[in-house]
Amino acid sequence: MIRNYLKIAFRTLWKHKTHTGINVVGLAVAFATATLLFLTSWFEWSYDRFHTDVDRIYRVYLQESTGDVTSIMPYPLSPALQAEMADAESVTRMMWSQTEFVGEKHVAKDIRFADPGVFRTFTFPLLAGDPNTALKDLSSIVITEDMARDLFGDQNPIGKPLRTDGLNMGRDFIVTGVLANIPTNSTFRFDALVRPETRVDYQANKAEWGNRNHEVFVRLKPGVDAQTAEKRLRSFTKKYWQSEIAEAKQRGQKPDAQGEYISLRLQPLTDIRFDTKGVMGGGVSRTYVYALALIGLFILLIAGINYVNLSLARSVTRAREVGVRKSLGAQSGQLLGQFWAESLVICLIALLAGVGLAVGLRPYYNQLFGTRLSFDLLTHPITVGCILVAFLFITLLTGGYPAWIMARFEAVTVLKGKVKGPKSGGLRSILIVAQFALASLLIICTLLIGQQLRYLRERPLGFSEEQVISLPLRNRDNLTGARALQQLRDRLRNNPDVVSISGTATNLGSGLDGSTSRSMSGWTYKNREVETDWLRVDFDYLKTLGMSLKAGRDFNPAFSTDTVSAVIITQSMAKQLGEKDPVGVVIQPDTADRKYEIIGVIPDFNLFSLHQKAKPITLHLDSRNEVSYALIRTTPQGMVRTMDALKSLWKEMAPSAPFQASFVNENTNRWYDKEERFSTIFRIAAGLTILLSCMGLFAVALLTIEQRTKEIGVRKVLGASVTSIVALLSKDFLKLVVIAIVIASPLAWYAMNQWLQDFAYKIDIEWWVFGLAGLLAVGIALLTVSVQSIKAALMNPVRSLRSD
Amino acid sequence: MIQTINLQKLFATEEVETTALNGISMDVKDGEFVAIMGPSGCGKSTLLNILGLLDNPTDGEYNFYGTAVARMTERQRAQLRKGSIGFVFQSFNLIDELTVYENVELPLLYLKTPADERKQRVEAALERMAIMHRRNHFPQQLSGGQQQRTAIARAVVAKPKLILADEPTGNLDSKNGEEVMKLLGELNDEGTTIIMVTHSPYDAGFAHRIVNLFDGKVVTENFHV
Ligand SMILES: Nc1ncnc2c1ncn2[C@@H]1O[C@H](COP(=O)(O)OP(=O)(O)OP(=O)(O)O)[C@@H](O)[C@H]1O
Ligand SMILES: [Mg+2]
Repeated sequence: MIRNYLKIAFRTLWKHKTHTGINVVGLAVAFATATLLFLTSWFEWSYDRFHTDVDRIYRVYLQESTGDVTSIMPYPLSPALQAEMADAESVTRMMWSQTEFVGEKHVAKDIRFADPGVFRTFTFPLLAGDPNTALKDLSSIVITEDMARDLFGDQNPIGKPLRTDGLNMGRDFIVTGVLANIPTNSTFRFDALVRPETRVDYQANKAEWGNRNHEVFVRLKPGVDAQTAEKRLRSFTKKYWQSEIAEAKQRGQKPDAQGEYISLRLQPLTDIRFDTKGVMGGGVSRTYVYALALIGLFILLIAGINYVNLSLARSVTRAREVGVRKSLGAQSGQLLGQFWAESLVICLIALLAGVGLAVGLRPYYNQLFGTRLSFDLLTHPITVGCILVAFLFITLLTGGYPAWIMARFEAVTVLKGKVKGPKSGGLRSILIVAQFALASLLIICTLLIGQQLRYLRERPLGFSEEQVISLPLRNRDNLTGARALQQLRDRLRNNPDVVSISGTATNLGSGLDGSTSRSMSGWTYKNREVETDWLRVDFDYLKTLGMSLKAGRDFNPAFSTDTVSAVIITQSMAKQLGEKDPVGVVIQPDTADRKYEIIGVIPDFNLFSLHQKAKPITLHLDSRNEVSYALIRTTPQGMVRTMDALKSLWKEMAPSAPFQASFVNENTNRWYDKEERFSTIFRIAAGLTILLSCMGLFAVALLTIEQRTKEIGVRKVLGASVTSIVALLSKDFLKLVVIAIVIASPLAWYAMNQWLQDFAYKIDIEWWVFGLAGLLAVGIALLTVSVQSIKAALMNPVRSLRSD
Repeated sequence: MIQTINLQKLFATEEVETTALNGISMDVKDGEFVAIMGPSGCGKSTLLNILGLLDNPTDGEYNFYGTAVARMTERQRAQLRKGSIGFVFQSFNLIDELTVYENVELPLLYLKTPADERKQRVEAALERMAIMHRRNHFPQQLSGGQQQRTAIARAVVAKPKLILADEPTGNLDSKNGEEVMKLLGELNDEGTTIIMVTHSPYDAGFAHRIVNLFDGKVVTENFHV
């Protein structure tokens, strides 16, 4: 019987190639997109969850009562925790991986520094070697399976010597272990592990609590919760951060709710991937992960709706078939089986095509979204299970419902030619409305996200970011920022391409070094609470960034006091101080041990991304704060030449430090990379939903119009013009699209309003956007439907009338 | 006055080529009532469609009240057809979504007749076909006879010079059929030219002249007096 069903199914599908094609293509595209999107969100969600008992693994971070947090730790912390933290089962340092040239072939490999506790804290299984002893010696190196194959081929790597050469070390190791390759959904990616003690700076800094350069992870003992552990760490913190706490007290810093100035905290390992602003940032927002899954669901839904709609629409034309079959003795159940078999075949073809498509599209997808999606997940039993369940659900629902409707047609009425279609006209309309509502929703979101992005990019920041190069000055060559800046000034003095040079502690935009810093100060001035960014700059800051003075004068090397006690403030700072004419006013922040005189006022500018509101800013030259970036303004023609000149200069000045100069306007654009990606996803999703919706509409229009051919014929015989018939046919569909827009608009408004809350500076949501989206949707729908309508209207009426 | 000379109609489908009309020459004078008879598939409906300007012949000439129409475009034919020809079909071909009144009103809407005149003429037509009391019903709520009377009302409401009827009684019982034939006879008495396809010799008796077709050709013409 089933074979018979399938045989008939294949035949019917073949006979109606257009419909089958539309169904298969639509479903396949939807399956492919949904697969990619779901896998991405699952992939993001699965980050670091491969470690056993992952809920016991935490990253240690330091929180100040000012709200500042950092997870960068000093060398002595980890040994101290190991000795004194009773709640910890194991502790390990994890340093950034560092590219070194390894072995005789000098292959570039990423090497990480970790303590022996790494194997107890994390689940990085060893294929060879003993996790308890693998990192026991300073000469031990544990390498991954891939690296072992690269270096030693089929030979057993254990016990083999290995030399590394690189910027920081030239050292001989002995391979003591082989790691299984690191899963792609791991925060830590590396090719090899060695002990931190092998680093060149280790001996000098091993007892320095002030020098911080790595992260520390702990695995708590079973049954210990993080809050308790944090509480028990308080005395530990008081002991080792004694002097910092005393300083904070002296500055007048207020303690936090628990009465602490500085406290060690624990962040779950699984939160690190989603850490967007907290401890280290750089993570993926959870909203983004949910949005991906939701969009995947939308697209599946739309394709499902298409399928139901098409089947329902066609059921009317198939009524006669049902009648004849029933008159020949078929039972409803048998007809149900037959129709369901058809949809099963369609869905199965679509599923296979969809998965194939997803596999084929993966490289482009990864490139577009900067993801590292691998298809290990696709063959994962959970994925396979999910796909099967989803598949069954979709075929049951989308195939089953129309089948059930058709199987219930009554033979007598059908044969009399009286079937007016099932009462599906209503459902069909609802489904079309739902589809176009989703499409309109995404169109509106796309338009608004694009608008906001443009706004962020184009809103003046208060300084001129064009033709300015920012060069991170941090290095390991004992060259201070101030001295580096001085050297740059001396060496570039006569370079005609350079307009001016300055320095700062806070980079403008997100530079290639990927770090940001911020220094703030607050005190009471004439009974007013003032709070300001306390920004270390250097001479010529205003000139380099094209800022002008509103009052007073710029910093000037001719005044010896300028490097000690002069500040320039922004207008909003002046307003905060309540001074009409602030030049000459003397201020003394609680955090400072001296008084400062205001020598100039400048307009407000945005030191940080437009996600946050610009705070009042105070510029100073106090040399006790480090200059970490050089800012170099070039002539419009000299941008590239200056970059090259800087590169060779920097090589001489600080041979150990990477050259990470970049243009400030590129850096400020990078602030919005995440939004950019979001926008791309929405554009593509909107495009796809519209495409799918239109395919559905096209097919439904085709069928509806097919069913109305008799009416059209009659109308033409009676003298109707082509235009009037096209209008008649298109009107019904347009009505649905308009309803969809009306439903989608408030939803889109709400969602986008929520999203815009992320930004201190944002566009107003204007009504014309909804109008434009509506116009787009109506236009596209009209185009889709009118092709059919015009064809129907031009048809010779004789053809449609003689069918009786 | 309409006149055809040597009309040919070929239908070419993928497998076969059918000659539906094979050289039809005939005249119909103003005010005449002509019945077309012949076995099934001999080309009656095809001829009627061409005479009604719904379709073009493959070859031959057709003079419609002084205009050569055989090679006109669909658009031109539609223009000429509007208001000058009324159609009555065997299967009524009423629009299911419209009421009796609206169905009858349709040709006038397409002719852009002013509203008050439209109302008057529709009501007159309904009155005349004795279905005024059903004006707000939908086609499915009517008997076959009532549906055909509605269709005739719709055919005459624009006062066409020519009415073409394709087996107008084919789906009706004899009583209703008789009624329809009487109505057509009355219309003809008032001066409307009528060409009717029928299988019923009784119905054909209402006509002045019978044209017999066989295999796409006119075989005989019988005249009544
Ligand atoms: N669109 C078409 N395509 C192909 N063949 C057609 C088409 N229309 C009519 N024919 C063929 O032309 C011939 C004449 O058809 P027509 O409908 O005029 O017959 P008829 O005399 O009206 O028959 P009936 O009395 O059964 O209504 C038939 O053989 C028919 O199969
Ligand atoms: Mg016929």
